[in-house]
Amino acid sequence: MKPFDIVIVGGGGAGLYAAMEAMKTNPGLNIAVLSKIYPNRSHTSAAQGGANASLANKAKDDTVEMHIFDTIKGSDYLADQDAVEVLCSEAPKIIRELENMGTPWSRMEDNTIAQRPFGGAGRPRCCYCADKTGHTILQTLYEQCLRKGVIFFNEYFALDLSVDGSRSRGLIAMNIKTGRIEAFPAKTVIFATGGYAKMYWNRSSNAAGNTGDGQAIAYRAGIPLKDMEFVQFHPTGLRKSGLLVTEGARGEGGYLVNALGERFMSRYAPEKMELGPRDLVSRSLETEILEGRGFDSPAGKYLHLDLRHLGADLIKSRLPQIREMCMYFEGVDPIDEPIPVRPTAHYSMGGIDTDNFGRTVMEGVYAAGECGCVSVHGANRLGGNSLLDILVFGRIAGRAAAEEAGKFNPAPISESEVLEKEQELRSFMQPSGHYERYGSLREELGQTLGLNVGIYREASKIRKGIEDLVALKERFSHVRVFDSSDVYNTNLLQVLELRNMLDLAETVAAGALVREESRGSHTRTDFPTRDDANWHKHTTYTLEEGRPKLGYKPVVMGRYELQERTY
Amino acid sequence: MSDSTIQHHEDSRDVTFRVHRFNPQVDSKPYFDDYTIRLEKGITVLRALNYIKEHVDASLTFRAFCQAGICGSCAMRINNMSKLACTTQVWDELEKSREPDIIKVEPLRNLPLIKDLVVEMDPLVDKMKSYSNWVDSKMSEENWGKKEFLVSEAEFLKYDKATDCILCASCVSECTILRANREYVSPAVLLKSYRMNVDSRDSIHEQRLAGLVKDHGVWDCTHCYRCQESCVKHIPIMDAIHGIREDAIAERGTKDTSGARHAEAFMEDIEKKGKLVEATLPIRTNGVVWTMKNLLPMAFKMVLKRRTPPPPPLVKSTKDIEKFRAEFKEMTGHVAKDHAKKPGE
Ligand SMILES: Cc1cc2nc3c(=O)[nH]c(=O)nc-3n(C[C@H](O)[C@H](O)[C@H](O)COP(=O)(O)OP(=O)(O)OC[C@H]3O[C@@H](n4cnc5c(N)ncnc54)[C@H](O)[C@@H]3O)c2cc1C
Ligand code: SF4
Ligand code: SF4
Ligand code: FES
Repeated sequence: MKPFDIVIVGGGGAGLYAAMEAMKTNPGLNIAVLSKIYPNRSHTSAAQGGANASLANKAKDDTVEMHIFDTIKGSDYLADQDAVEVLCSEAPKIIRELENMGTPWSRMEDNTIAQRPFGGAGRPRCCYCADKTGHTILQTLYEQCLRKGVIFFNEYFALDLSVDGSRSRGLIAMNIKTGRIEAFPAKTVIFATGGYAKMYWNRSSNAAGNTGDGQAIAYRAGIPLKDMEFVQFHPTGLRKSGLLVTEGARGEGGYLVNALGERFMSRYAPEKMELGPRDLVSRSLETEILEGRGFDSPAGKYLHLDLRHLGADLIKSRLPQIREMCMYFEGVDPIDEPIPVRPTAHYSMGGIDTDNFGRTVMEGVYAAGECGCVSVHGANRLGGNSLLDILVFGRIAGRAAAEEAGKFNPAPISESEVLEKEQELRSFMQPSGHYERYGSLREELGQTLGLNVGIYREASKIRKGIEDLVALKERFSHVRVFDSSDVYNTNLLQVLELRNMLDLAETVAAGALVREESRGSHTRTDFPTRDDANWHKHTTYTLEEGRPKLGYKPVVMGRYELQERTY
Repeated sequence: MSDSTIQHHEDSRDVTFRVHRFNPQVDSKPYFDDYTIRLEKGITVLRALNYIKEHVDASLTFRAFCQAGICGSCAMRINNMSKLACTTQVWDELEKSREPDIIKVEPLRNLPLIKDLVVEMDPLVDKMKSYSNWVDSKMSEENWGKKEFLVSEAEFLKYDKATDCILCASCVSECTILRANREYVSPAVLLKSYRMNVDSRDSIHEQRLAGLVKDHGVWDCTHCYRCQESCVKHIPIMDAIHGIREDAIAERGTKDTSGARHAEAFMEDIEKKGKLVEATLPIRTNGVVWTMKNLLPMAFKMVLKRRTPPPPPLVKSTKDIEKFRAEFKEMTGHVAKDHAKKPGE
């Protein structure tokens, strides 16, 4: 089989932009996009808020410089400044490019692209399409890829890289609809598989499939991951599902109330109250729960987000989406009842370690989007910068891979390697006496992470978390797939995703333990301040003898000196 | 404060899910399995199915991803209506159940079945391709990224609702014409086509329109409103379908397309008889031979599926006809204008 020039794993914003740009760079290339779901279903569609770019349509004095500074400060100075410069200076171009190809942006009165304020940004530079920005960007990119004739392998699940020394030969994947294991020999592979925040399971705002597959595949192939301990939490996730109740609810005047009936934010942010910065509000909710002032339910402890005093009219006119969500997913109408909420894992800053072109240490292997870590978000990403990240670095990786693809001719992937994979998957279905159920392992994974490696971290708890993870991995070796059919075996997929999450969870916990400081999203109660002298550096993780081996990388500095991060 | 006061009070009850099963590797035909589980109020159908998969039967197969009503993966037929499992509350559904405490769950219709509740989506993607469901920009790619097109908020509002579509295929599953003819363009594809056609940045409006007026295209729609009623995003799909038709008549005239002749015949019926004689309509627009060849087989199929009443097909003046009237009044305007433009024809 003739090798593909580029195989892109993932059909979210990052993967589709990479595909488009690669075709634009060299239309003669043989490019394939593999995705475990139809590309238009990717999690990029969930982003409501928007994407940042200093177009200066709204605030005429906005500049790329200001965007750079906001991003670096927001990252708690852990972002690489050269990468941030690329991100922010490419931003206006990429937003216009999306506009030129048909993205339905909301408009200003002068008919230019509309912009609005967003957390942590000094100017209103968040470009949006109503409250469906990610969805419309993803639709547009998918439409354009169809127009350009990109070849899609929809509902294919990437299993592993085939590695030949320091190079990849391509990818091994499963056709979900037939269950067949297939080799995808490729000169270059781009991972664009999205984030890993779903490992916190029902304490996560993420889609069920945001299980860090690309990161886990890279990690197993010996490619280092970076800054995995940084996971962003959002203060108000719905109790049962973790789904997001957006900041709009508090913006309109919603109260956060504990089981004693107190508006507890008065303890933590007496002036700003419910409108304090995201990480502070998250920590406040968590404290209330930990100190026993939360409500109890079979689905876990929670607090109330109370909108009732706003009145039915305001709720119906200004917050219709939020109301609908509460009714759909929690069975609660916020006009009559308070909304049960708790903090929810939302975004993964860490990922596959790449340079500013998306290249990893393995020749021919690239990563982009939430699954990569360039790093532009450092210890904390700003709202609206993630969509931007996937677009800018998706495009850069697509171009780089297209330029490189001509240069190599990878060795073929042997049939025995494919057979081995087949047998490995079969073994999950063979009964072997004692067995474990996927559901309970996954539940426990989410629980221990939330409890021990969640918002508040401290050495003893993280150690407990690591012990739990080791035990879970042992139990995973007995996990059983009960569905033995080849066709559309979602039971098998869930188990494979769980394996990926377990591998990555170990790196998250290991990083959380070793980083003895508090920076951005990472809060150590036993080390409550930022420690630049010892910890102004990236962590990296390489798989060695089944465990993560830690390493460090300096942060690339530039114009901006370290400062305390206050708002 | 004691625990019992903090405890949120929850209703709970036993619910049976009657689920469509089919594994092509072992089953010769589909069947139903009943799963009875105890649920608390506030649970969605998707969460209930997840529970069944995890605790009762791991082989139960369905699609789900975002669990938040935005990705479109989990569309299925619940109590005989296509909708998203993740945004459907079990308690609401129980009120609609025909048999008490039983919720029927089936795969979408009009798309090939793969397994249990999973259907093939490729036919929909293929139609998006054949009807050019993308903006083909007036700006050449080399110039992209340099400056914005200026687009008014008024134009944005024209396609704002249409861009809500998450391609869940609920409307596809409910479409009356697709039941008889799977080659029919599909409501979601008409919606997307309309969205592209009204975008001033697009350059292939005419080409797209030419495709839409061909066989299996926009003129095949029966105006049953079923798609719009089932749309999970409450998109006024019929506005899009009317929009395309109006456009077709305005731009392509009345004589050159069978669709437009169809419209004229409709108008005559409604105007002269106050009734719609469906059976004679195709004959008048396409001629007898064409009708025998193309439409009769389909009509038989539709009768078999009880979609149209058996002959004599005199449709009573119902609410639907009222709707037709209103629509065609609107169209009359266009046709009249068109005639005025081409007096010689
Ligand atoms: C609720 C929510 C709201 C958000 N709001 C905003 C916002 O307002 N602004 C902002 O900037 N960011 C926001 N974000 C973050 C942003 O949406 C994501 O970071 C971004 O969309 C990720 O895009 P991606 O292309 O990297 O990955 P995704 O869109 O997640 O795509 C991943 C792709 O990889 C594929 N894939 C994964 N594993 C495999 C495998 N094993 N085999 C084959 N294919 C695979 C999937 O099928 C999918 O196509 C939000 C996130 C959430 C959860
Ligand atoms: S109105 Fe037309 S497109 Fe919609 S369901 Fe009826 S026949 Fe199908
Ligand atoms: S038009 Fe509505 S029902 Fe049809 S695919 Fe789009 S969102 Fe789903
Ligand atoms: S799972 Fe995404 S719409 Fe239901």
